[in-house]
Amino acid sequence: MSEPVEKENKGQALKSVLNSLMVPALAIITATIVGGIVIAVVGGNPFAAYSGLLQGAFGSVKAISETAVWATPYIFAGLAVALAFKGGLFNIGGEGQLALGATTAAFVGYALPAWVGYEMPTIVLLPITIGAGIMVGFIWGAIPGALKAFTGAHEVINTIMMNYIALNIVSFLMNGPIKDKDPLNVIARSPLIAEGARIAPIFDNLRVHWGFVLALLAAAFVWWLLWKTTLGYEIRTVGANPDAAKYAGINVKKIMTFTMGLSGLLAGLAGTIEVTGLNYRHELGFSSGYGFDAIAIALLGKNHPGGVVMAAILFAAMRNGATRMQFLTQIPVDIISVIQALILLFIAADSIIRYIYRVRQSGEKVVLTRGWGG
Amino acid sequence: MKKQYTLFALLLVVSMLLAACGAPAAEQAADCKSADVFCVGLVTDVGKIDDKSFNQSAWEGVKQAEKDLGAKVQYIETTDAKDYDKNIATFGDEGYDVVVTVGFALGEATGKAATAFPNTYFIGVDQFLEAAAPNQAGLNFPEDQAGFLVGALAAQMTKSGKIGGVFATDAVPPVWRFGEGYRAGVAYINPELEVNIVYHNDVGFDKTFVDPEWGATTANSMVDKGVDVIFAGGGKTGNGAVIAAAQKGIYAIGVDTDQYYTIPEAQKMLLSSAMKLITPGVFDLIAAAKDGNKQSGNVYGKAGYAPFHDLDSQVPAEVKAKMEEIQAALLDGSLMTNVAPVKP
Repeated sequence: MSEPVEKENKGQALKSVLNSLMVPALAIITATIVGGIVIAVVGGNPFAAYSGLLQGAFGSVKAISETAVWATPYIFAGLAVALAFKGGLFNIGGEGQLALGATTAAFVGYALPAWVGYEMPTIVLLPITIGAGIMVGFIWGAIPGALKAFTGAHEVINTIMMNYIALNIVSFLMNGPIKDKDPLNVIARSPLIAEGARIAPIFDNLRVHWGFVLALLAAAFVWWLLWKTTLGYEIRTVGANPDAAKYAGINVKKIMTFTMGLSGLLAGLAGTIEVTGLNYRHELGFSSGYGFDAIAIALLGKNHPGGVVMAAILFAAMRNGATRMQFLTQIPVDIISVIQALILLFIAADSIIRYIYRVRQSGEKVVLTRGWGG
Repeated sequence: MKKQYTLFALLLVVSMLLAACGAPAAEQAADCKSADVFCVGLVTDVGKIDDKSFNQSAWEGVKQAEKDLGAKVQYIETTDAKDYDKNIATFGDEGYDVVVTVGFALGEATGKAATAFPNTYFIGVDQFLEAAAPNQAGLNFPEDQAGFLVGALAAQMTKSGKIGGVFATDAVPPVWRFGEGYRAGVAYINPELEVNIVYHNDVGFDKTFVDPEWGATTANSMVDKGVDVIFAGGGKTGNGAVIAAAQKGIYAIGVDTDQYYTIPEAQKMLLSSAMKLITPGVFDLIAAAKDGNKQSGNVYGKAGYAPFHDLDSQVPAEVKAKMEEIQAALLDGSLMTNVAPVKP
């Protein structure tokens, strides 16, 4: 009934934003419904489950703080994947870049003050710690980028391979050279980092830390970089059509290498911030799987920094709320993975969603990756 | 176009309504805070509640408290190590009387929670405490006694007189205690027997627990030398040795929990397992806490050996009797293993 009025009021811009949000939103809703059916089939009450999930994610100040804690690495890692996608590159290596960044930060955070021999102030130690972490992330991302640019070796294969190398290096370091030497310690973890290498919590008694704000700033920065700078234009052009970019005088090889490096830097930052802001050390059980969740987050967020932030918060809410859901209903937390996988399925195979809800194809088609030497 | 927006809006409203009218299980939250309701929660390490190992054993202890003590019980499975604090606090906030945390990795988070929730009693399974809050207990196990028991069993079951042990590393105290307890147990029955114990010390910590190939080759070479019982311990390395021994058709002995359930490949020849009796350990602490006797600091649980399962008919009655006698003697302290807590 109100449609004619709406139609007049809505600007073209708003319409296009709504249009691009349509498929992700419908995918989430459909996945929620299918997930609810799955819960019912295994004998749970989907309404109790989802209300528990919501309570756990947003039901109290503490819950919101925990959701932000979960969202922080997701935003960084999601931005990493999204940025690479914009450059026409598929970074599956987030997991390894993140773990190496975290390990580097954990090492620098405790070893540097010990080596220097006095307590370093935050203003000196924290930037060095973060800088070291993201530097390693950059290098670990730039290697497959350079391999792709200069030899044509596909980045999908190489980033996966680099994950194995990174995770085994980290496992070796955590079990050996930088293992916490406390005689009571039997697990693979590094010692606590110095006070000066830590990011402060925003509020007392809540775990949410300034890293969350930094993540939002990083999203704004990536947006600015991609759409407001020459470099961003070059990245997007290489992503859209490397041949055209080459003829336009863009140094495609340099841009590819740099894009992957930057992507690795963001993934490394995800790990670095987890160590400096939350865990104060690295341990093999921390942050596993974020690099892969990040791919889903980037896809759900349509590779737009704003979309990535929203998708990251959604995934964070689900991961965080799952505890409360299990506490209240005893439905296994694994159901969350099922729902997340369904969302991803509906995003990737968006013609299912378009068919169910009769949504027409609109806007640019996202180029996820291209073939050998593309 | 219009249709889609309407449909979209409709779906959104419907889904919100559905979410909103979902029954909030508030009544559950309320009563744990009251003094008459005894609530016990359990937080797993990064593993499932039905892992057929530590988490499950501890949960069975909690379940027993539900049955025998009328406790209200609940568990939370941890999916990421950074959630330890949050998951433990979930129980603390709800006013749970006892919270059980499973595994060394939760030790730090448990200590913090014990300070934050002084009215809740915390039991940390496999957590050796340097300093404990008055409302915190670390439940540890005498691995040397478990090793001693299966050593005595091996010594009574061997026909060749040659006994083998394959372990991850003697630098990790619990593994050392299993291995040396085993040696002592064999000697207790018959000091003349030949005991071959090998620790995988030749590699780094990253490899020593995850080297099933080494475990298998070592076990195989022992079998070639005539060994006919092998006790193996230390993660995947030990499992590799257990499987290899079972495949060679000699007796294999598992570690920590009843590995009959965790290594199905070895079931046919799995004689027993050197067990940490987590279930009664957890239950006893909960029961004592309910009676107002909260033990704090390091508490030692009991060691045992797993049932013989498929091989039950091959174990003579006098061996079974002897095993029970040894276990009783270890429990009441009349028999000591004399194993140093760490490698000297």
